[in-house]
Amino acid sequence: MNNKPSGKISLDGLFRQNIVLMSGLVTAPIVVAATSFERALVLTLSFLMISYSSILICRFIPRRIVYTVRIIIYVAVAAAMYIPTALLLNALFPETASAVSIYIEIIVVNSLILAKTESRFYLMPYGEMAVDALIYVLGYAMAAFAVGIIREFLAFGSLFGLRVCDAPMPAAKTPFFGFLLLGILAAACRALTTRRRIRSENSDIIRDIIRKEAE
Amino acid sequence: MEVIVKIISVAMMSVFVQNAIFDRAFGSNVAIYASRKNGTVIGFTLGITAMTTIASVISFFVDQALLPTEFGWLFMPLIYAGIISVLYILGLLFLWGVFPKLFKRIRKYVHLAIFNCTVIGALFLNSNYGSDIWSYLGYGFGTGIGFFLACFLLNIAREKLDSEKIPKVFRGYPIMLIYIGVVSLAFYALAGYTVDF
Repeated sequence: MNNKPSGKISLDGLFRQNIVLMSGLVTAPIVVAATSFERALVLTLSFLMISYSSILICRFIPRRIVYTVRIIIYVAVAAAMYIPTALLLNALFPETASAVSIYIEIIVVNSLILAKTESRFYLMPYGEMAVDALIYVLGYAMAAFAVGIIREFLAFGSLFGLRVCDAPMPAAKTPFFGFLLLGILAAACRALTTRRRIRSENSDIIRDIIRKEAE
Repeated sequence: MEVIVKIISVAMMSVFVQNAIFDRAFGSNVAIYASRKNGTVIGFTLGITAMTTIASVISFFVDQALLPTEFGWLFMPLIYAGIISVLYILGLLFLWGVFPKLFKRIRKYVHLAIFNCTVIGALFLNSNYGSDIWSYLGYGFGTGIGFFLACFLLNIAREKLDSEKIPKVFRGYPIMLIYIGVVSLAFYALAGYTVDF
């Protein structure tokens, strides 16, 4: 296990490995429940409180414990974190938290905790891991807000809770529209990251040519 | 006879009307992963169906005891996670004892079939809508069959969805989501809903 700090902050979690748009590790809350800005906010806060805190806490679980048991402990910690999260969200957003409650509850078994912890986060030093996991949560937030704002406008004709016009497409609040929209956003995100990668590769090649000519 | 009819009708409802993948998007990422090969479709379906069915029956008794209490709902994720964990360990022990070769092959990804939104989501939906033990049983079993149906529909379309005819940026995960969306629309119509475009 390499625990030396690399000193670099990786932004993979935002675009290249976005857990909603690129790897699809957490999709259900976004597809079904993210139909407005406020719902996206509640989903993001719940994801932050449950997943992020679980990742930070579970880092202290000794690696000598067998994988089968570690997975169970991860889920138990996330389920325990659900209790303060649910109490806080029900106090701040009682109607919205109640409407999306099942999508908050299922976050306790999300793949960011169960898959990324072992394959990525726990291979890093603690501080670097904390920043990296936060960037993954930001990637989730970005997808949730994008889907929530687009669907709020199309399904209800409002933006950030303020009415703008008649609902252009009421069907936008349905799960099938959520899948279609997420598919299109996933393709857009992939196109963006591919373009950035090609541009970065080209600039590396040009830099090499200039250096060789100078030599 | 009445009990059997009830179990079948609730199971049918959870397969076609409230399909875990197409209606709730529970475990859609697991379904996309599992649909890659015929073998994984069967493996994941068996694991998920066994878990949702057995865990649903156990959760019925837990719900009866805890849900009527004031703060019982707060502890449900913890209790459901406990039920699933116990079944996970028992399942692994069963595989280890009876099918040791299979156990060695699948132990690295068996948790994906157990700890996912389809399984825990079925328990939460049961606690919201289930009325008696037979409806819990039917819903749990139907959720597993609904998962199989979703995986099957994804599996048969996978070759065409990965073809050259699909633009490169859409190939793979994005086109899978769009395909699930189209099938979800068909299920929506099958359930008798109408859509205002």
